[in-house]
Amino acid sequence: MQEPKGHQHPITQMIDEINHIFAGIGFAFAEGPEAETEHYNFDQLNVPKDHPSRDMQDTFWFQPKDVSEPTVLRTHTSPVQARFLEAQGAPAKIIVPGKVFRNEATDATHEAQFYQLEGLHVDHNVHLGHLKGTLEYFFSQFFSGKTEVRFRPSFFPFVEPGVEVDMRLLEGESKLAGKWIEVMGAGMVHPNVLRAGGVDPEEFSGYAFGMGIDRLGVMKYGVEDVRDFYSGDLRFVNQF
Amino acid sequence: MKVNYAWLKDYVGDVLPDTGEVTRLLTEHAFEIDGVETVGNHAVIDVDVLPNRSSDCLCHRGVARELATILNTDLKYDPFQVTPNLAATDKIKVTIADMQACSRFTAALITGVEVKESPGWLKERLESLGQRSINNIVDATNYVMYAIGQPLHAYDADLFPMVDGAWQFGVRFATAGEIVEILPEGGSTEPRQVECIGTELLIIDESSNTPIGLAGVKGGQYAGVHAGTTNIIIEAAHFHPTITRKTARRLGIVIDASKRFENELSRDLPPYAQHEIIKLIEDIAGGEYEGTLDVYAEKKSNPAVPVRVAKTNTLLGLALSQAAIAEIIARTGSTVTELEPGVLSCTGPWERTDLLIEEDFIEEVGRLHGLLNIVSVVPEKATVTEVNSRQYYSEKIRQVLLAEGFSEVITSSFQNKDQIQLQNALASDKSYVRSSLYPNITAVLDANFAHTDLLGLCAVQVFEIGTVFDGADSGVSEHVALAIGVRQKGNGYTQKDDVLLESACVAVADALGATIEWMSKQGVAEANITKVINDLPVPTSYEPAVERLTTTYSAVSPYPAIARDIALWTGADFEAERVAAILKEAAGSLCVRIDLFDTFEKDERTSYAFRLVFQSNERTLTDNEVGGIMNTVTEVATQKGWEVR
Repeated sequence: MQEPKGHQHPITQMIDEINHIFAGIGFAFAEGPEAETEHYNFDQLNVPKDHPSRDMQDTFWFQPKDVSEPTVLRTHTSPVQARFLEAQGAPAKIIVPGKVFRNEATDATHEAQFYQLEGLHVDHNVHLGHLKGTLEYFFSQFFSGKTEVRFRPSFFPFVEPGVEVDMRLLEGESKLAGKWIEVMGAGMVHPNVLRAGGVDPEEFSGYAFGMGIDRLGVMKYGVEDVRDFYSGDLRFVNQF
Repeated sequence: MKVNYAWLKDYVGDVLPDTGEVTRLLTEHAFEIDGVETVGNHAVIDVDVLPNRSSDCLCHRGVARELATILNTDLKYDPFQVTPNLAATDKIKVTIADMQACSRFTAALITGVEVKESPGWLKERLESLGQRSINNIVDATNYVMYAIGQPLHAYDADLFPMVDGAWQFGVRFATAGEIVEILPEGGSTEPRQVECIGTELLIIDESSNTPIGLAGVKGGQYAGVHAGTTNIIIEAAHFHPTITRKTARRLGIVIDASKRFENELSRDLPPYAQHEIIKLIEDIAGGEYEGTLDVYAEKKSNPAVPVRVAKTNTLLGLALSQAAIAEIIARTGSTVTELEPGVLSCTGPWERTDLLIEEDFIEEVGRLHGLLNIVSVVPEKATVTEVNSRQYYSEKIRQVLLAEGFSEVITSSFQNKDQIQLQNALASDKSYVRSSLYPNITAVLDANFAHTDLLGLCAVQVFEIGTVFDGADSGVSEHVALAIGVRQKGNGYTQKDDVLLESACVAVADALGATIEWMSKQGVAEANITKVINDLPVPTSYEPAVERLTTTYSAVSPYPAIARDIALWTGADFEAERVAAILKEAAGSLCVRIDLFDTFEKDERTSYAFRLVFQSNERTLTDNEVGGIMNTVTEVATQKGWEVR
């Protein structure tokens, strides 16, 4: 009575799906280390030296004796933006799905580790309309139904203007259909981030976005507790 | 930030729309709204002020100004309209040890006040924001902070020694080990003793070098205002945001005052606050204003920023005219002039410390014009030329192992004990990062064996692909590891597990066309996949997308499952599926699955053996209960003419 085939974890299923959707519109899959230097995790992203997110409460720091420069478990996939721009310059069109870490108490909607999807598109004359169109395309594919996106004002140190992104599935049977749902933060890449990556903000502009893949899973599959993703429990995994 | 609607209306005037429309306008153009509630007779809107606007919008005037900007109107009453002209006094002096840390210090002297209960309107407004009324003087300091954003502190002038004809204030850093007594907090009635580490900025009584408060964070009881106070000194200053924040975080004191100081208030604000509080105190406590000390050592004003029409439209994807852009920016209270055709010179209003570069102004244009007006550009189809090896080969490994019957897990990157310990993990049982997937996979095998019946498995077969961290001379290094685990017996590893494991390892190596170095023990094999992938050719395109099922997850029951077997002879014309369906129906809704595990035929009859698994989402099932259900199942089978063995 052995089931003939094993079950793929929903997170890696989603990453594979995300990769195929974005590859279809020219985004390359990029990656970076999970043990990331303070330089890339914060400095290069225009996070001020005294920003609260650097505080011990939010970030896991490695001990100085184990590292040659201040190093953290990356708190977001955004450092790969900085690394990619520095290594390859503009134009850049990448997604970065990967594991990230936050040093905070866990509950049904928070885990100390989770997966994030970063997107970056830098080129001549890239603007917020491109961001909106790209996200609408992605969500429509990912949730298998026409989806619209709207922006609201927001703030993140590495973008200016910064926006909060809401999505609404316009069709289909899904519980999500018809409701505006807040899904992620995004914006136009801050000129300091472009400059830190060696890209001239006078010549290039770009957008960046970052969303939780776990949260996409909550929406896509109806998972109620994000900790289930990392429980190693086959009663969970084998439903996928 | 809780905002009292009537208070907002004082500033905005009758053009202020109802709370529903205020919510919509702020949400679309400025801030998220966490809720609207009614406190007594007051409508209170909870505005989630963004970090970059905490300098000017953590107060009613700020949110009112924002609404006026959105509504394209002027404030009916603006406390910032007229620059205050405060009479000076030489009865108060201040010695500031570090002008960067305290760039401005003001203190106003008011004599002959009467400390009493606050008037009803003031109490109600504070209470609507969740603030308890204390007395008219303390309430006035809080009121002005919620009105225009500047924290203030009141002292009893008669309890503060006057030396050489003046009250002598000082601002300096603490010395390590210095003790400062601050006001009671968290429901306590006792003052809190704080031991300093030397990074704290202190307000002191300069005449005796006595600390009287943590600057910008929390005041002390020194010279506190009490029922009999008649002469008061009101302090309003500007402290360095980082110093304030660090002290507040270290001591766990994040209160209204520290929250404002740590967000870089304008240095121009303190005189406006003095002007407001002097008026208010004269009104509700009487007394006579004597004069203000104002030491403004480190001046800072907003820069004139060139803003290009073309750049604005490039970032926003809009086609606004220069006039339209100038009009929108001017609505924020900024000064806008034309530098040359296509370029505006913009200077933010003094109270906003966030308008420093061109993009800051472009953001203003975008949100005030309306982010809902951004038009989507549909992306063009394209092909990627760069294929990520790790993703490509990881996906390949997954498909091979899935076909071999292995399920994928993702486990914690943290360990209770391992090679590399983090400096500051919150949870003590996850203070190390993993150097191997082995312990987690072993734990997964142990934990899942109990569920094999429920899952219809005869063995637990799992794998994980994940990052692990090694200590190295040059520092922490990391690689991606693959671990595969097999468990066929409940009481632990048996040598039989290695047979399945071996064949999975071979399948992976064959699919990759690579030689893989496995570390294998106790039914778990682990390999460094980064190393393997580095030696493989870089792929030129991804495999076609795998068809994925649409899954709706249902929560796992926390109650144990019970399995029962039944074997029976049926006529040869009965297929297993039909038999299973009949049995499952007979077993009812508590039967969560039925699996065929044995079949043989003899004399034109077929024997099937099924395993039925029972589980409830609400309770633990008893053996008796399940036994009863199995009796029913047997009866149904017998009625069908089947012989239960």
